[in-house]
Amino acid sequence: MHIQELILRLQRFWADRGCLIGQPYDLEKGAGTMNPLTFFGALGSKPWNVAYVEPSRRPADGRYGENPFRVYKHLQFQVILKPSPAKVQDLYIESLEALGIDLTKHDLRFEEDNWESPSLGAWGVGWQVVLDGMEISQFTYFQQVGGLDCRPVSAELTYGIERICMFLGGYDNIFDLVHGEVKTDDGVFPVTYGQMRQREEFELSAYSFEHADIDLHRTLFDAFEKEGWRLLKDHGHFLSAYEQALKMSHTFNVLDARGAVSTTERPGIIKRVRDLACACARAYLEHQEGVVAPAEATGKGGAK
Amino acid sequence: MNATQTFLLELHCEEIPARFLSKLGSEFAEKFRQWAETEDVHPRLGWTQEERLDLDASEEFVLPTAYTDFISPRKLAWRFEEILALQPDQTEIQSGPPQRMCVGEDDKPTIQGEKFAEKWGVPFSAVRFEQPAGKKEPCAVVTITKQGRPTVDLLAEALPGLIAGLHVPKAMRWGKSDFEFVRPIRNILCLFGDQVVPITVDGVAATNTTWGHRLYHRQHPAPVTIATPEAYESALEAAGVVVSVEVRHARMAEQLDDLAAKAGGRVVADAELLDTLAEIVEFPKILRGDFPADFLELPKEVLVTSLREHQKSFCIEGPDGALLPHFLTAANRTDDPAGFVKAGNEWVLKARLYDARFFFAEDRKLALSVRLEKLKALTFQRELGSYYDKTGRVVALVKTLATRLSTDDEHIDRALEAARMAKCDLRTLMVGEFPELQGIMGGEYLKHEGAHEEVWMAVKEHYRPVGAEDAIPSTPMGCLLSLCDKLDTVAGCFAVGLIPSGSKDPLALRRAGQGIVRILWERGWAFTPTDLITAALRVVGTKATKPASETTEALMAFFKDRVAYQLELAGYAGSVRRSALAAGWEDLVDLKARCEALSAFAEDPRFASLAQSAKRIGNILKDEIPAGNFDSGLLVQAEERVLAEQLVEVEAAADQKALLATLADLAEPLEAFFSAVMVKCEDPALRAARLNLLHRLRKAFLRVADFSLWQ
Repeated sequence: MHIQELILRLQRFWADRGCLIGQPYDLEKGAGTMNPLTFFGALGSKPWNVAYVEPSRRPADGRYGENPFRVYKHLQFQVILKPSPAKVQDLYIESLEALGIDLTKHDLRFEEDNWESPSLGAWGVGWQVVLDGMEISQFTYFQQVGGLDCRPVSAELTYGIERICMFLGGYDNIFDLVHGEVKTDDGVFPVTYGQMRQREEFELSAYSFEHADIDLHRTLFDAFEKEGWRLLKDHGHFLSAYEQALKMSHTFNVLDARGAVSTTERPGIIKRVRDLACACARAYLEHQEGVVAPAEATGKGGAK
Repeated sequence: MNATQTFLLELHCEEIPARFLSKLGSEFAEKFRQWAETEDVHPRLGWTQEERLDLDASEEFVLPTAYTDFISPRKLAWRFEEILALQPDQTEIQSGPPQRMCVGEDDKPTIQGEKFAEKWGVPFSAVRFEQPAGKKEPCAVVTITKQGRPTVDLLAEALPGLIAGLHVPKAMRWGKSDFEFVRPIRNILCLFGDQVVPITVDGVAATNTTWGHRLYHRQHPAPVTIATPEAYESALEAAGVVVSVEVRHARMAEQLDDLAAKAGGRVVADAELLDTLAEIVEFPKILRGDFPADFLELPKEVLVTSLREHQKSFCIEGPDGALLPHFLTAANRTDDPAGFVKAGNEWVLKARLYDARFFFAEDRKLALSVRLEKLKALTFQRELGSYYDKTGRVVALVKTLATRLSTDDEHIDRALEAARMAKCDLRTLMVGEFPELQGIMGGEYLKHEGAHEEVWMAVKEHYRPVGAEDAIPSTPMGCLLSLCDKLDTVAGCFAVGLIPSGSKDPLALRRAGQGIVRILWERGWAFTPTDLITAALRVVGTKATKPASETTEALMAFFKDRVAYQLELAGYAGSVRRSALAAGWEDLVDLKARCEALSAFAEDPRFASLAQSAKRIGNILKDEIPAGNFDSGLLVQAEERVLAEQLVEVEAAADQKALLATLADLAEPLEAFFSAVMVKCEDPALRAARLNLLHRLRKAFLRVADFSLWQ
């Protein structure tokens, strides 16, 4: 199946089940969760169903376009269902069938995999969904986002688009995947993932590992942080402040891939991103609902 | 005696993490048993009073109710047999005001007396007057009989609380509810005999139905009806769920061996992995897959770790121990109609191995030694600095200790090289991906670089022993490196105040300490704890934040505990351990020899007598330290002269074994001595001679053990 066909089918499937179809957010980010449609959408009491594609950047995963399985940037298909429906697992399974996966012939498992994003003050419990031994999705019940309890709880489904395509087509190299076909008066031209992205993988890997200016990124990180707090404190603007937190997060990821962050330094840097993101979450909830729960511990769920 | 029924409860959930399953299973069973006892719905109540008393007095209280728990990925279930269908009538004794306030002078009930009877719903004539324990006068007493209730009603009231009260380590919420559990509960099956117990938990009402395997329900949309608790296993097996984890485990173990044998090898055993697999599949089947043979160029440990960590798969090794290009893994279905399951697992494994090979190739592009500089950016511990700093200390320690074990300069140089390289693999991609391969990868990379075998073997094994079950490094150099690395960790942490206490030992210092003691013990090296502590604190130097004397004292106590535990691990009897330790613990070689010798004599009945005498000697010498030198010529009685003669032999004994043989011979003369001789006599010279005799004897004893602790 072509990548674009897979995306179209997922969008159709979830639109038919009452989801808004959203768009990627136009800033660099490490995961679809960081899109405000999820970060803010998962907060508060109002019902919220949304699905969208999110290009996700993981600078440390870059392999110069030489590794057939690992890439700097991949596509996530993200679904948020709030509140989580009682039949959410069944819905997910139906979506796989919509992709043409005949489950009577496969081995499908939900294996424990709890999700945590220290830089978003967010965590949840759930599974990695494993099809014939391969992880094809993440399935999470959000418990906290931005340091605030999620009430009601959202279910988050994240599909790894390239992985599923490779798996379905039996591809051994991500760059051989076919994105889609270009039809012109002269004929039909299939376009591969490699044609579209391999050079980008090379350059962005080289940038993350070799060329990124460390001093500049350190300066940028500080500047984004300062800007974010200024927007939030002086103007009460949580959306533009949150964008600064996203920029901090990506800047940190570049520094990390560049080997410029020591293990001792790391928790402190992540905390600076989290502090701003959590403050944005609280400001959002105050604006949206006029009330906000007292600050919750950002630790993981303990004993009852 | 009334009829009994079998009770069955199943919580059908979304996939429960394997690590919580068995704990939840046993916790509920225990809570339920306590409840059944409190509510008297147990058959023991049908027994006579005498039978019950007899039982209660005779043995530890154990409920005979048979129960089984069933755990599988989507199910927590319990079945209890022999629960009474009807709770027996419950009698309670209630006491009230004193008799004088209940009965008037006219022998008629007072108002207070009437009220007491009324309160408990009985006529005044049913009120008795007895003197309860602790009261000074007789009081009003009534015996109330409450009619027993149907157990199904009691269950319906109690179960929701029992379920909600389960301790869930990582509880979650879902949907709109505030209810918390390990994973969402989607169905409840609750039967008492063939009757549904009407309970509702978080909006889910109990029925007599449940769900089988997801695949089964693709053909059979209706839920599975469980007619009776006894039909539970068979009804679900037919619907694609083996509810017993033991059965799943046994089936998989058999298939693993079988398939490995067919592939011409045997499974690389991994009990923990098999346990996990039994808990994450409900309808298991082991399948064999293959991978391209060229991946076998990767070190065996890399393949085994990668397969286990990423794909929950077992490796197969041939008769020579080398891996075969096959793997075994569990599928959650017993067939593979289109071959997709096998093909999928092979595809994924190939991707994983490709990554491992990428790491292996990338890592080897640079010499391992290049990473030494990079260790500067890797913190070992805040006060103690980076791994680079740690490496420096370990090198210094190896230098100090190696010169005491070897005079061969080249050999010592190799030990220093191993110490310099030991931590470099922490900066390799492979160890970044698989932290458990630390040490092993360093060794592998050095081997590929053509390092001396002594060096790469020492680096490879220097984390060993990783636990009580693990062996110490196989080479002396590996042992020395391991010892120095652990010694630096322990002494360094103590020097900055990180000392384990109670159950808190986050840095696993006790395990490291035990490793040090085991290496000394098994190698027979003559380093004493004092030697080691002195050397280690010298290299920690100014990084220490605590005074050296304080640290040394804490470390000595720490090592003494480790040594005591080592004696336990070695399997010596309590009497041997106590008495041997009390006579000195620092020289492990000597301690070991003494423990061995003592164990050989432990059965000798004369030792009990010797222990008694040793205690008496201890008591006598406690009050009075003998003055002057021992002059055996002053002794007068035959019993003491015999003893003095034997003392000469004892003191001349060449080794521990000979010493113990002569000591055992002392048992009888000592008994005779104590029954005939008055030690603290009037004559001061004789008294001093006798005390001196005992003092010398005690000194001889203490060469091997403090027998006063022998019991």
